[in-house]
Formats: sequence, C-alpha cells, structure tokens
Amino acid sequence: MRVEQLYKKNAHSWMVMGRDAERREEVIDTNHYLVQNNGRGLLLDPGGVENFSVVAAEFSKHFELANVEAIFASHQDPDVISSLPLWIQANPDLIVYMPKIWVSFITHFGVKLENIRPIPDEGGTITLGGHDLEVIPAHYMHSSGNLSVYDPQSKILFSGDIGAALLPDDSTDLFVENFEEHTQYMEYFHRRWMPSNTAKARWIAEVRKRDVEMLCPQHGAIFKGENVARFLSWLENLDVGSAWSGVR
Amino acid sequence: MGGNLYTRRMEEAYSTIFRQCVSLNTELHKLVPLAKQMHLLSSNAVSSAARAGSEGDAFRVLTQDIQLLGDDVSACIDDTQSIIDEIVRLASNLARLFSNYIIYINLKTRLEDDRSAHSLATKTTFFDGGQRLVAEEIKDNNHKMSRSLNKLTLLLSPISALVKKGEYLAVCSSVEAASAGEHGVSFEAVSSMLRELVGQLGEQSSRQKALLRDLSDSIDQQQQNQGKLFYAR
Repeated sequence: MRVEQLYKKNAHSWMVMGRDAERREEVIDTNHYLVQNNGRGLLLDPGGVENFSVVAAEFSKHFELANVEAIFASHQDPDVISSLPLWIQANPDLIVYMPKIWVSFITHFGVKLENIRPIPDEGGTITLGGHDLEVIPAHYMHSSGNLSVYDPQSKILFSGDIGAALLPDDSTDLFVENFEEHTQYMEYFHRRWMPSNTAKARWIAEVRKRDVEMLCPQHGAIFKGENVARFLSWLENLDVGSAWSGVR
Repeated sequence: MGGNLYTRRMEEAYSTIFRQCVSLNTELHKLVPLAKQMHLLSSNAVSSAARAGSEGDAFRVLTQDIQLLGDDVSACIDDTQSIIDEIVRLASNLARLFSNYIIYINLKTRLEDDRSAHSLATKTTFFDGGQRLVAEEIKDNNHKMSRSLNKLTLLLSPISALVKKGEYLAVCSSVEAASAGEHGVSFEAVSSMLRELVGQLGEQSSRQKALLRDLSDSIDQQQQNQGKLFYAR
C-alpha cells in the first residue's frame, strides 16, 4: 500500500493511499483520501470491508484516527463504503456524509441514521476544523446519486469514480505520467460505468468553473496540473453509456 | 490453546449455524401447506358427514375433532414463522459480526507489527472500543438466539401430541366409516387422507426435532468457543 501526501500547508493537508499489493486478485484496487484541517480528519471513500484493516493500519501511521470526525461516501458502492460499520464501531460519534438518495440503502450495512448527514441533490458544504469543502453534484457519473468534493485551498477535486482507471497490477504510479497512454485504462470504464452524456457535460461545466490543480479518482492514478484539463477534454469527447453493444 | 484455533473453530461454527437455521426455516415452511390441507380436509369431512345423513352422527363428532386438530396445528405454525425469521436474522448477524471481529483482530496484529517498525500516530487502543462493541453484540445476539430457539422448541413441542391425536382420529374415522357401510364410503376417503397428512406431519416433526437438536448443539459449542476466544484475548 502506498501512502503519499498530496498537499500540506500549515494545518491543512491531503493524503492518499492506494496500490494495495496485498489485496486479493478479484478485488478492485481503490484509492482512499484523508483530509486534515486543524487536527480534525475527514476520510473520503474509506473503502470496503476487504481492505479496512489495511487502510486503518496505514492511516494510523500518519494520523490519530480518533480525530477523524467524519467520513464522506461519494456513492453507495461496496468498494466505497462497506467498511462503514467497522469505522463506526471504532468511533460511534463518527459523522457520515452521503448522497441523500442512498441513505436508506447504505443503512443496510448496519449504520444508524443518527450517524448520517444526507447531502441533498444540489450538493452543499462540509466543514472540517473550520474549513469549508465544497460538495459538487456528480449524479449519473456513474451512480444516480453521486458527489464530488472540491477543496478551494488545496485546489484538489476528489472525483470518486470519475477519472477512474483499471490499471495493470504492476502499475505503481500514483500520478498519471503519460496521459495518452493512460486513456487505454480509462476508456472502457467511462464508456461502461458512466451512463449519461448530459450528466457528463453538466459535471464538466461545474468543474471548469473551479481552479483544479489535482483531480483525484477512487481508482487508478491522479491527474495533476495540465493533465486535469486534458482529462476534462478527453471525457467531453467520449461517448459514455456506449460500451455495451446492446445499447441503441 | 491459541486464539487462532478458536477463531477458526468459530468461523466454521457460524457457517454451520447459519446453514442449519436456513434448513430449519425451509422445513418449518413446509408445515404451512400441511396445515392448509388439514383445514381443507375438515371441510371435506363436513360434506361427507352431511352425505351420510342420519348415519353420519359419529362422523359429525369426528369432523369437529379434525377441525380442532387443524386449528391446533395452525396455531403452532403461526408463531413459529416469526421466530424462525428472527433466528435466521440473528444467525446472519452473528456471521457478519464475527467477520468484523476477525477484521479487528487482523488490524490489531498489523498495528502491533507496525509499532515495532514505525511510530504510530494512532493509539492502538483506539480500535479496542470497536472490537469490544462487536464482542458485546456477538454475546447479545447469542443470548437472543438461545432464547428464540427455546421459544421455538416450546412452540413445536405439542406437534408430537397432535400427531398421536391425528393417528387416533384416523383410526376412529376408519372404524366408523366401515361400520356405516355404504354411507361411510366418502368418510373412509377422509380417514385415509387424514392418515396421510398426519404421517407427513409426523415426519416433518421428527426432522425438525433433529434439526433443532443439531442447531442447539452447534450454538452451545460455538458459545463455548466464543468464551475461550474472548478469554484468550
């Protein structure tokens, strides 16, 4: 498992964990992010039951996890959030931000409503240690209730499954080095898992209103600098929802 | 004996318990059509008694007894459904909780290994609360499971007596049908159907008793292992 700091200035930082070499072959590789501000922590898409112990052990080296006050789930998938009961058992006061439409589904993992802060379709704000993070609607990209998180200070956008790549097992790079080469690992994922060109265009327009230095997906490598704009243009020109030949 | 051995034993025990609960659930659901058939049979008995006219007085008394038998079987079954649903839910919870317990053990092992190589920002005790909570939930679910099993055993215990009563009624019906001559032909059919249904009920009852016994044994065994595992830790 690789852990790297993406940003740090004063008491504000972002950390990523990914490339879990120990994971079972059939389990998709996932990235997990920890945002810290003034000693408070927020975990973004903390992952599935499968890798809870790895994620918790790795982040434990860098941050007092008792100070993680909240978890953000970009959507409802098991690789995103099925570890939730374990985090809540460890800290029963934990707050969980999630798309409103998934609340009654995610509670099937055994989570109680008192821990949940539903985020409405329009998005909103998450305040962490006095610092505001912006929650941007990303519905139908790929989940019907889907959210991205933008941090105006670090200029990092956590995009969930948008920008995800199914990288070969021997790939260890945390950042996209050669964009053109990287598209081969993203194309099928986006054509298959993103169902709507309209939703795609709306999300791209929202992101372009912001100054994004890093675009951080839940799977695959992170886009940095000029690769962010390259990715948005590539996605803009991709016909999503078209990977299955049965689609008319 | 190390914790790992108890862990493995408990994993096996939980998977056995869950399978046994599902089998018991399936067997109990088979009682529902049997009870319905008994009610249908009591309607047939009413018509047979009516067809026998003045020769059917004895049939009418037997018909009432068949109806009561059907009611008693239904009464036993009605409450068992909600209890077996609860038992299956508890078994499923226990399997999930135990899996979480193992994950915490795994995490703590990692943290202990890491602590020798790195300094940890998180206190290892942070996850103790989660592990303790899971252990408490396991114990609580186990107690609930034992209580529900006892309730189920109590509810199903009259079935053996009902089977005996049904067998006796089938014999009486057959005797009365034979002594009524041609007036008793259709009641003889009722009697033979009753014999068949009661036979099926008896078989179901034996299978359920065996399943309940196995399930209780598995739960006792698992609770012993659980005590040893929690103590070993």
